[in-house]
This record gives sequence, C-alpha cells and structure tokens, in this order.
Amino acid sequence: MTHPAPRDRAPDAAGVTYVFAVCRGTRAVNTADVTGLAGMPGGAAVRLLPSGPLTAVVQTVPADDFTDEVWQARLSDPQEIERYARAHHEVVSAAAVHGPAVPLPLATLYHDDDRARRALDGEAHRFHGVLKRIAHHAEWGVKVYEPEPPAAQEEREPAPVGDGGREAPAPGAGLAYLNRKRGVQERRERRREQALSVAESVDAQLRALAAASRRLRTHAAVPGGDGRVHVLNATYLVADQRAEELAALVRALGERTGTRIELTGPWVPYSFVGEV
Amino acid sequence: MDAERAVVPWDSPEPLSGPIGVPLVDLLDRVLATGVVVSGDLVIAIADVPLVRVSLHALLSSVSERVPAPWADGGPL
Repeated sequence: MTHPAPRDRAPDAAGVTYVFAVCRGTRAVNTADVTGLAGMPGGAAVRLLPSGPLTAVVQTVPADDFTDEVWQARLSDPQEIERYARAHHEVVSAAAVHGPAVPLPLATLYHDDDRARRALDGEAHRFHGVLKRIAHHAEWGVKVYEPEPPAAQEEREPAPVGDGGREAPAPGAGLAYLNRKRGVQERRERRREQALSVAESVDAQLRALAAASRRLRTHAAVPGGDGRVHVLNATYLVADQRAEELAALVRALGERTGTRIELTGPWVPYSFVGEV
Repeated sequence: MDAERAVVPWDSPEPLSGPIGVPLVDLLDRVLATGVVVSGDLVIAIADVPLVRVSLHALLSSVSERVPAPWADGGPL
C-alpha cells in the first residue's frame, strides 16, 4: 500500500490537502508512482491517499497560497490560470492511466487528509456510481465551425461609384447602398443558419454513438486567434471500443457537409462526473 | 485511457507528455466548468460557477452563450 511520500515542506498547520481525482483503490492504482508529477506550483510531492475502496490523488499545498482571494486574483490572470489548469490536468490525466478516475474541480481543498478521507467516505456511493459509468469510456470534444465567407470581394462593400466631387449622389444611390448592405447581412445570416443546422445534425448523429453528451458554451473567436467562429461546442462520453468509429464519423460528417469539424480527446471524462 | 490511439497529438499513455498540446479554452471548459462532485472545506467559491464565469469573462473577454463577437466575420457594418 502507500504511505505519504516524503515532503519537501514540513507537514505543519500551514498545509492543506488538494484533491485532484478519485480512483478505485485497485492494486494498479495503489502501486502507481505519482511522485514524478509536478502537481500544483509550490506544493509538496503528489501522493496517493487510500480511503477504504477508494484512493484519492492528493498533494499538500501551502494554505496561504490557496485561499479564496489568491484564487480570485489567479483566475483573472490568463497566464496563472493556464499554469494551474495545466498542472491540475496533468495530474488528473496521470491518475486516469491506471483505471477510471473521477476528476475533481480545480481547487478542491481540505483542511487535512482526514477531512479529505471523510469527504470521500461520505460520498463513496456517488464516486462508485460515477466510476462505474466512466470506466472504459473517454470524453471527446467536438466543435463545428461556421464556414468561411465564400468570396471575400462578394462580402465586401463595392467601391463607391461616381466621383467624389459631386455634391449630391446619383438618385437611387442610397437605396442601392442599403440593398447591398441588406444583401451582405442576409448572406451572413443564411450562412449562420446553415452552420447551425449542420451543427444540429452532427450533434444528433454523434449522440447516437455516445453513451452521454453535453453541450458546452460556445466561445467567440479567441482574441488574437485565427478568428474562426464555432456554432457547436459539444462533448461526448464514448466507449473506448467506439472511439475509432467516432473519429471516422466525424471525418465523414466533415466531408459530407463541407464543414470544419474539430475533434479533441480523449479527455478524462471531466464533463460527465457531475450528474450522478 | 491506455489504448493506443493516434487521433490527436496529446493523446499518449505517457502521463507527462499529456497536457502540453491541449488547447487552453477546451481545457478550461472542462477543468472549471465541471459539475461539483464534492464540496471542499476551503475555497468553496472557486467551485461556484458564477465566480468562474465572471473571471472567464474577464479572461477570454468574449465568452458568450450563443452570440459570437459581432465583428467575427467581416467587421462591423
């Protein structure tokens, strides 16, 4: 079994227990070597915390660096949030190598190991339910993008006709301008509607293959990114033996609809642990 | 997660090579917006979606439920 790994910080009152994930306490899990993981910046070694039939992957972190206020500041700093989110994800992913793992949300903290153990024991039936559900399944993210405008010059406003020296524009110029504008707007809306209907049909077909699905929020184009806009941001819980089928279906749907569809994964089933 | 699949670059059984290529936005969708399984003793507010939402708004500056940025395709009228 496991024993607390040597810590590079004295286990005093200033340390709290950060829980990354909860696994079944199988032999494979309990003999796994997690000490090589970096974990949260500033924390002690990542270690296993067995509690009955469950084992948590935990780390002792300095309490004063993991307070509400510090996290609030951290969450509004893109670099910091990336650092901590990736650190969290790294440990969660490593935990899932040895069997199903229930990821806990970023910054789930307990006063000490006993409190963490008590929380595990208290929710044991829920953890077992979730573990059963996600065993041999992975989460796959799918984004459907809106197509690029077909022809750039068609979308753009044509160069103004007539010479600039005239005081009054030709009769009907204002109307023509408005019609052009309306045309651009209509084409844009039509494109979006088509993309949304493609998204719905993609989602319906992927749902048929998945054990569960969720729609995530769509994000606007990332500032400084490539400006692409997606109309579907969904995620699916898919049995491991159907993962290739999923990839093939996504490819086929992309080709058939001429739409850019992006598949990410396999993820530890982050999005499918909350409902049980 | 131990099968050999070569669909995406970051999928690898080696834990340490895992998170490198994961797009940040996709990661935050999962790490922050997941359902709360258990409540911790501390920093309860972090797990609250509203706080995270607010911070994400500040972070990504353009997160929206359905509507993309109006200038996303072709600039403002």
